[in-house]
Amino acid sequence: MCRVGEEPGPPDERAATDAAFTALLEDSAEDLYEQAPCGYLSTLMDGTIAKINDTLLGWLGLERAEVVGRMRFTDLLTVGGKLYHETHFAPLLRMQGEVHGIALEMRTAGRGRLPTLVSSTVKRGGDGEALLIRTTVFDASDRRAYEAELLRRRREAEQARAEAERAHARAEAALRQAETDRQRLTEALSALQQSLVPSSLPAVPGLETAVYYHTASPDLLGGDFYDLFPVGGGRWAFFLGDVCGKGPEAASLTSLTRYTLRAAALHDPEPAAALRTLNAVLHEHYTAAGDPRYCTVVFGLLEQAEDGRVGVKVASGGHPPSLILRADGDSEFLPTPGGLLVGVLPEAPFTTATTVLAPGDTLLLYTDGLTEARTGPTREGLFGDEALLAFAADQAPATPRGLVEALTVLLKGFGDGLEDDTALLALGVSAARPTTDPAADAP
Amino acid sequence: MNLSIEQRDTATGPVLHLVGDLDYEQAPRLRRHLDTLVLRVGHCLLMDLSGLEFCDSSGITALLTAHGQARTAGAAFALAAVPPRTLRLLSIVGLDQVLTIRPHTDAPAR
Repeated sequence: MCRVGEEPGPPDERAATDAAFTALLEDSAEDLYEQAPCGYLSTLMDGTIAKINDTLLGWLGLERAEVVGRMRFTDLLTVGGKLYHETHFAPLLRMQGEVHGIALEMRTAGRGRLPTLVSSTVKRGGDGEALLIRTTVFDASDRRAYEAELLRRRREAEQARAEAERAHARAEAALRQAETDRQRLTEALSALQQSLVPSSLPAVPGLETAVYYHTASPDLLGGDFYDLFPVGGGRWAFFLGDVCGKGPEAASLTSLTRYTLRAAALHDPEPAAALRTLNAVLHEHYTAAGDPRYCTVVFGLLEQAEDGRVGVKVASGGHPPSLILRADGDSEFLPTPGGLLVGVLPEAPFTTATTVLAPGDTLLLYTDGLTEARTGPTREGLFGDEALLAFAADQAPATPRGLVEALTVLLKGFGDGLEDDTALLALGVSAARPTTDPAADAP
Repeated sequence: MNLSIEQRDTATGPVLHLVGDLDYEQAPRLRRHLDTLVLRVGHCLLMDLSGLEFCDSSGITALLTAHGQARTAGAAFALAAVPPRTLRLLSIVGLDQVLTIRPHTDAPAR
């Protein structure tokens, strides 16, 4: 515990400390001036050096005899220092009577340079007349080096920042370029896709049509295709199919298939004949060349009868059977068994089937994207033919548009389960066909 | 599921036992294996599909490649132990009428 009111330390010790402190003060008066850790000098008002300490003489490498009364303050400065003294230091000193911490460069005997920080005050007499100038000089070498280092670091940092900015600019330019390329590619793919499927189906008198097209591939290029076009004599041809493979590779086959079928149909619209031509072309082009590729396709011909009904003749090459939704609510497959994949063998059998569509009947063609869609997490649970037939039975009777809309909702429900490209083409005879009453036309 | 292919050479020719999926991703394995296959005239290339989990159109293409390769070599080609789903697919595309299909690897063609 500290006792209140007691002086710190014993009396003897205190006396000894005081004595040493006094001696230090007395001893240092002259010594402090000469050996101070800074330079001192006093000059007359014209700059002639009247007094200078050992420290500064030592820094400059000069003898007292050559300096005092012989040199002016400015003689100690470098050319740059002189200039700055002339233009800034001296005028400020004259104006204010004192200046502080001005950086001036001094010249040393070894032709070196000494960066210093200089402060001066003007000493005045009793009448205010300026008598002399007292100056202190601090060695600023370390500080200069520090500042130079700071400056260097700052320049480096600025360079690094500039470099980073340039890199950033380059990255942004690359990103813009990539975006431009992506845009161009998307446009090109979109244009290419138009060569695989028509952008819209032609209007066929007395017939209603609807389509759905989904590409599983992100580049929009699918292996599914369909078309509907006139072949003369009031007849229309249609087809829908699926080529093997996916993406761009499949797309070239899709394109070849579509245009071959169109050309073949103009020559001979008989469904089996069109498929035989396609088979010969694909087999010659791919399989015979050691690169087996094929497609499955349903090709059909529509012929409108006088009574408004439409005769349909389809041939299938390895494609799942078409589906018919009758106006009376029945639904059935239109089987085409035994039709072979198109392009596999030089001579392939194709099966033809016929039916008649009455007003309100709808024919649906689809690719296996629909029947192979996964309804569960594994490939075990596929949608399948039976489920499709059951779905159709629920929908019948249905217009092509209504049926495709219902199937679109169904497909969307599969989400990720829709792994393959999917195409739907529905053709129906308009139920509300305008009937012409001959009696009404009579005058 | 990855496709594994096990080859067994018999007196009548090679038997390829396919286990796993034969789809777009895995079909190239079969194609690569076919590249290494040596077929003699009069031999039969038999594809044992008893372990096949899944087969899609790319798988069909690979099987057709094998079929074509056998024909070119003057060898026969047959599928054996085809799972029902794949058999249904083959029947839709009409290949059941064209390819030889056996119930088992050691059974004669049906």
